[in-house]
Amino acid sequence: MLRFVLILLSTVLLWAVTAQLNHALAPWRLYVFVGALAVALPALTFSLRTGLLASFVSGLLFDAVAPVTFGTHAVLFALTHAVVFNLRDRLPRDDTLSRVLIALFANLGLFLVFSFTQVARSPAPASLWPRLFADLACSQILLALIAPWFFAIQARALALTDHEANRFA
Amino acid sequence: MPKRFDQARPFLTLGLVVAAWLAIPTVFKTFTRASFFELTAPVGVAASYARDLQEYWTLRLHSNSELIEAGRDLARLNASYDLAVQQNIEMQGEIARLEGILRLPSYTGYRSEHARVVRRDFSGWWQRLTIRKGKNYHLTVGAPVVFSGGVVGRVSEVFAYTATVDLISSQTVRLAAVIEGDTRPISYQGGLNPTFGSAGGVIEFVPLDIFASAQATKRLVTSGLGGVFPPGLTIGAVIKVEPSTDGLFKSGEVRLDDRLAALTEVTVLLPLDTP
Repeated sequence: MLRFVLILLSTVLLWAVTAQLNHALAPWRLYVFVGALAVALPALTFSLRTGLLASFVSGLLFDAVAPVTFGTHAVLFALTHAVVFNLRDRLPRDDTLSRVLIALFANLGLFLVFSFTQVARSPAPASLWPRLFADLACSQILLALIAPWFFAIQARALALTDHEANRFA
Repeated sequence: MPKRFDQARPFLTLGLVVAAWLAIPTVFKTFTRASFFELTAPVGVAASYARDLQEYWTLRLHSNSELIEAGRDLARLNASYDLAVQQNIEMQGEIARLEGILRLPSYTGYRSEHARVVRRDFSGWWQRLTIRKGKNYHLTVGAPVVFSGGVVGRVSEVFAYTATVDLISSQTVRLAAVIEGDTRPISYQGGLNPTFGSAGGVIEFVPLDIFASAQATKRLVTSGLGGVFPPGLTIGAVIKVEPSTDGLFKSGEVRLDDRLAALTEVTVLLPLDTP
């Protein structure tokens, strides 16, 4: 339970940092989305039940501050979790670089699927895609830059509750 | 456990989670959403107070001569506003007199509630602001939000001490507008938000005799229809109109004020009958 709460708190931290960054980027009409970071570590290291719950609740946190049907992020985060969990035994997942790469691919998928769910509401969907691709590029660059820091924070936090500290590091 | 089933286990569990989520009553979801929002609200509000404090200390660094100059400019501005207020009172009296003679229904009165911007959330998917006033100042859902350049948007959600505003550049905002000097209503919808460019929206059902281009723009204002926005507030500049496919009307594009992307304070208009 404590591990679940720690993951949730780290997601709040991630959301707060990106919210402030998006606030600052707004005059340039740029936006970053790094939701996959909230899913990556639970999907790669947690048991299915705890990890899925952590990803789902993290998604609810993103849903609460977005004008979408409550549960949209949650279901997408849970789906991403299930895909990564299913593949994790076939992927190198113990070093930071591999985790960053997995998070990058997960974020790419999340961003595109979420965009497809939202683009239909636009009065000019075709004109929306250049903006979305620019946002995606910025998001991926930011994710690559902050992922090692974020994974380290999560690992340090989880190490407080787990004697097997190396499992997350 | 068979290996094939073991591989499908994450997806079966996901299916169960999604099914359980769909079965949960809407009341519970609404409560959970509000709870999660209130959980994150202090983070944004604290950051906005920190920005205000930062701005305050930056202003403290200004020299006395700069402050004297600013005070002088402000006094001149106040003098011109005093004159405008006097003219406004006179015109309001004239309107009331004419309404009485012609037995016209009077315009809805509004009171202004100024609010600081906590967070700007401008993605390609939506464009929203979070402001630092909510139920504690009796804000209501749907209330119009304005700034010195015209319409900002409308309040979409009200929480305990914050509220969210859907910007007119957001694809979720649609309202009735008119070209300045014309009375025929036009449909406006936000949704054009290019990177590094000006935000915009699209207009539909434009009469065929309306012409506009990037060189000869037309001012688009609120129509007052629907009773949400007072009439005559600036939405943006019409930069393009072209015949729509049905040939009965034209459709076009509107460029919005660039200041919308950097707002730090907005005004919520509340009907006078609200507490």
